[in-house]
Amino acid sequence: MPMKLLKTETENQLVVERILHARRYSLTLDRTLCTGCGICKEICPREAIEVKTVPKVEGDKARPPTIDVSEEKCHYCGICESICPFGALKVTVDGEHVIPVIKSESFPQLIREIEVDITKCDVDCVDCEEACPLNLITVTVQTPDGKEVKDVKSRPDKEKLKVNVEIKKDLCPCCRLCEVKCPEGAIRVRKIFHGIIRIDREKCPEDCQDCLDVCPIPGALYLSEEDGKVHVNELFCVYCGVCKVVCPVEEALELQRTHIRHTPVRSGAWNKALEKLTSTEEMAKELRTKGSAKKLESVKKRVAWSE
Amino acid sequence: MSKELRIGVFICHCGLNIAGVIDMGELVEYARTLPDVVYVKDNRYTCADPGQDEIRKGIKEYNLNRIIVAACSPRMHEPTFRRCVSEAGLNPYIFEMANIREFSSWCHPSTPKEATEKAKEIIKMAVAKARLLQSLDILEVPVTNKAMVLGGGIAGINTALDLAGMGFKVYLIERGESIGGHMAQLDKTFPTLDCSICIEGPKMVDVSRHPNIEIISYADLLSVEGYVGNFKVKVRKNSRYVIAENCTGCGECRDVCPIEYPNEWDENMGVRKAISVPFDQAVPLVYTVNMDHCIECYKCIDACGARQAINFDQKPEEIELEVGTIVVSTGFDIYRPYDNSLYGYGRYDNVITALEFERLILAAGPTGGKVIRASDGQKPHTVAFIQCVGSRDVNKYPYCTGFCCMYALKNAILLKEKYKDDVEVYIIYMDMRAHFKGYEEFYQRARELGINFIRGRAMHILEDPKTKNLTIRTEDMTLGEPIEVGAELVVLSTAAIPSKGTDEMARILSLTRGADGFFMESHPKLKPLDTPVDGIYLAGCCQGAKDIPYSVSQGSGAAARAATVLSQKKWKIEPIIAVVDPDKCKNTRVKCGICEKRCPYGAIKAPEGEPARVTIAMCHGCGTCVADCPSDAITQLHFTDAQILSQIRSALEENPEEKILAFLCNWCSYAGADLAGTSRFEYPPTIRAIRVMCSGRVDKDFVLEAFRLGAGMVLVAACHLPYDCHYISGNVWMKKRTDALTMVLGKLGLSPERFRVEYISAAEGVKFAGLVEEMTEQMKTLGKEKIQAENEKLQPTLERMLSRKKK
Repeated sequence: MPMKLLKTETENQLVVERILHARRYSLTLDRTLCTGCGICKEICPREAIEVKTVPKVEGDKARPPTIDVSEEKCHYCGICESICPFGALKVTVDGEHVIPVIKSESFPQLIREIEVDITKCDVDCVDCEEACPLNLITVTVQTPDGKEVKDVKSRPDKEKLKVNVEIKKDLCPCCRLCEVKCPEGAIRVRKIFHGIIRIDREKCPEDCQDCLDVCPIPGALYLSEEDGKVHVNELFCVYCGVCKVVCPVEEALELQRTHIRHTPVRSGAWNKALEKLTSTEEMAKELRTKGSAKKLESVKKRVAWSE
Repeated sequence: MSKELRIGVFICHCGLNIAGVIDMGELVEYARTLPDVVYVKDNRYTCADPGQDEIRKGIKEYNLNRIIVAACSPRMHEPTFRRCVSEAGLNPYIFEMANIREFSSWCHPSTPKEATEKAKEIIKMAVAKARLLQSLDILEVPVTNKAMVLGGGIAGINTALDLAGMGFKVYLIERGESIGGHMAQLDKTFPTLDCSICIEGPKMVDVSRHPNIEIISYADLLSVEGYVGNFKVKVRKNSRYVIAENCTGCGECRDVCPIEYPNEWDENMGVRKAISVPFDQAVPLVYTVNMDHCIECYKCIDACGARQAINFDQKPEEIELEVGTIVVSTGFDIYRPYDNSLYGYGRYDNVITALEFERLILAAGPTGGKVIRASDGQKPHTVAFIQCVGSRDVNKYPYCTGFCCMYALKNAILLKEKYKDDVEVYIIYMDMRAHFKGYEEFYQRARELGINFIRGRAMHILEDPKTKNLTIRTEDMTLGEPIEVGAELVVLSTAAIPSKGTDEMARILSLTRGADGFFMESHPKLKPLDTPVDGIYLAGCCQGAKDIPYSVSQGSGAAARAATVLSQKKWKIEPIIAVVDPDKCKNTRVKCGICEKRCPYGAIKAPEGEPARVTIAMCHGCGTCVADCPSDAITQLHFTDAQILSQIRSALEENPEEKILAFLCNWCSYAGADLAGTSRFEYPPTIRAIRVMCSGRVDKDFVLEAFRLGAGMVLVAACHLPYDCHYISGNVWMKKRTDALTMVLGKLGLSPERFRVEYISAAEGVKFAGLVEEMTEQMKTLGKEKIQAENEKLQPTLERMLSRKKK
């Protein structure tokens, strides 16, 4: 059979496929998870991803941009899946979930450091579950012999019950809302992306809160009662950058990522991605710490950059 | 050579072939009266040794400096007599032939008086031309004794090996990453069923090991300049990002590479890595990074380690080569019938091409040799082969691809032998063409294995959307009714088409392509390996689809043709070429360049602001540029305007209105007229023919001059349009020119039948005789008075139009 390149789009899903006689590849974008931030687009080596802003309807809230993937260009390397902080993308080869670049250690995995000390948990408390803006946390309570307890309040043996906090880590952008909301200080979250986000008061237009409308993390951006403009609370910001995508005024919102927590790799592809997502300096730092002198040189030549 | 003209005329009896019709005594007497003729001698057989001795003796005794032999056609004995006069110390180009046998005695046997008169005028015309003949030097160019072969398929491999075996240095240029061509993609080969790569692989290795062969793979041809013996070729070696000398071909880089992309070598049915070789037996065994897919993770660099074979900074490299000959063996592509909606290729999962089938059944293929369906991965229980998909189709490719019958038989037999009774095989065909050694026996073997042959043209394929099984609607000619055949897998035997880039290659090499898009050979039978460009030869499927034994033979044949040049120190070129007078060329003042457009060989170039220049070794001497030069700045040696005009004038000296003045091209029409003579077709003795190398040489001034002198009729005869011209396109330009001229003459009041353009092949003697008869009849019907009256009316305009010729 000659090669087929297909794209199927439904309301909640975009699937691109490359079907060969002896092998089939697919990339699925879960639109219910995707925030349209476009980090994947930034580093796609084939420039197969496009971020499409959705035109605003007068009087309505701004809607997050949509991601489109070209079935002609995608070569199913899995870089987008590896970088997506919301876990919205998934590559399969012959029906099995595989990330080729992870398998070959050509790309790092994001480190999502979320620790829950369940010994501190109050059996009555579901604050973290409620706090999670992406509904990734499920708190369950169990009896010592492992049976799930539904009606905690009516149980007399509260001190014997065990709390279990289940978090869908793969989909978590590490916003720290749960950590902050936890009354017992039982959760510790370290962010994946670190950085700085600034809104220029002068340039930020009045009566616009598009960034706020599309931000996936409540509280990371908020409308100030003082000046009626949007302000940032960096405590919660995950530096996904969707705010910058929708901001209508150039340079009104500046986003600078400074660090990405990831598993260690030696990979030129990652160095390139790192440079695009953070800065040349950050990449150089990474290269120096790994002592990859030869690659540093090669990269220097290719990107025409010198220290 | 002394300035005084001393012409010797040798008149041949040719036994009774000439003397039996023509009064030789009268002819000899007449010849003596012609200007500057100092010696006339008749012989029984001039071409025999005693006859040639007479010529040599005459030259010595009478100090002759122009020689005319009145005998048979120059197409017969011109080379003989040129050699003869050159042995006597004269330049061979001061010799001229008067064709009084084919053009007179043989075609007018029942009117000996008229035949004699015609013979006299033929000799008179020859003398007129001979008075203006010049000595010409045969040109010699040095030969670089290296060859270039373009395309490393099985034809190119054989050419390279044969030439290298003869001791010549060969550059084998391959566009792809490996040599091998289509043959390396195939599973087994017919009719012996030996494994394709098992027999080709060792040859590929031989090529890589041969000290005289340099493989330049993954390279593009950029330009070719020069001419036979002296081609300058520019080639770009594309970046593999792998240093060939350091790569050991171990494949460790491939193993760590994360990126897979569809492998074209596998017809995109399987995949390869972003750093890989297209197939394991690749020659040269050097890995290539596909930068379109590489994500530059540099895992390969780590894997390669101390070998340091990978270099991401590698740049494409342009190299210049000098070679004496070029063999083109650029192969073919397989037609992918996406545009045939009736067969559903590309739409139905289980409809594949035969080349895809090859990759399926091949043990080293993407499925490990398992014939499985794309829809469900299951082995099909019924397989149908449909023949002539694209081929023999007037709406697509009218030609027969030639090898599809055989490969369908081969694939059917392989299936039957592999799966025995577990598979039912159908072949739906129009005609089964099994016409070479061992092929018919192979067909019988297929029949004995129980393969079902259905004669008919498949009309339509339908797919069951659930099972993805297929139904073929076809006719069965033996039953004489439409039938339906169910199949779980359908294999389409698709046409071979010119390979991608053939047009570009044709442009770079100045080659012509036929209506089918394949390269045109010089002559379909007698020069099947030559191209119109001297020193460039063809081998294999780039000239037309052919199977492996035929391609191999052509490869060796082309090597032999190339060696005829390479083995020489110098290459001789006939001096009948175009010469530009730089003072007359108006390209220095205004942008002209007409000559450059006319030349099918790229031999004449008119750079802006400079006079046109002819590359002598590339000029084939058709004279088309000469005829179309608006300022008469170009001369064709041996066929100068003055020489041809003198022939016209002497032909029309007496009773012009009773004569047909004809310009015949040497290769077709003159040969056709010769054939009329040798076939003894009798026609009226009204025609006076002037030989030109190509009809493209016929200047419109020649026609005007003939009418100015009062010619009854004028005929221009050429090779058939569009492809018969010996000089590729001379007849096309002649037609453009004469179409315009016909209009002008019509407006001036010339009866349309008096100026005729015809196309006569070398085989159409009967057409030529019929034409002369018809024109003579028309001339009679018009009547001498009407012709004279028309001429009188035309005269002043023609005088004016020709005034610049007169100086």
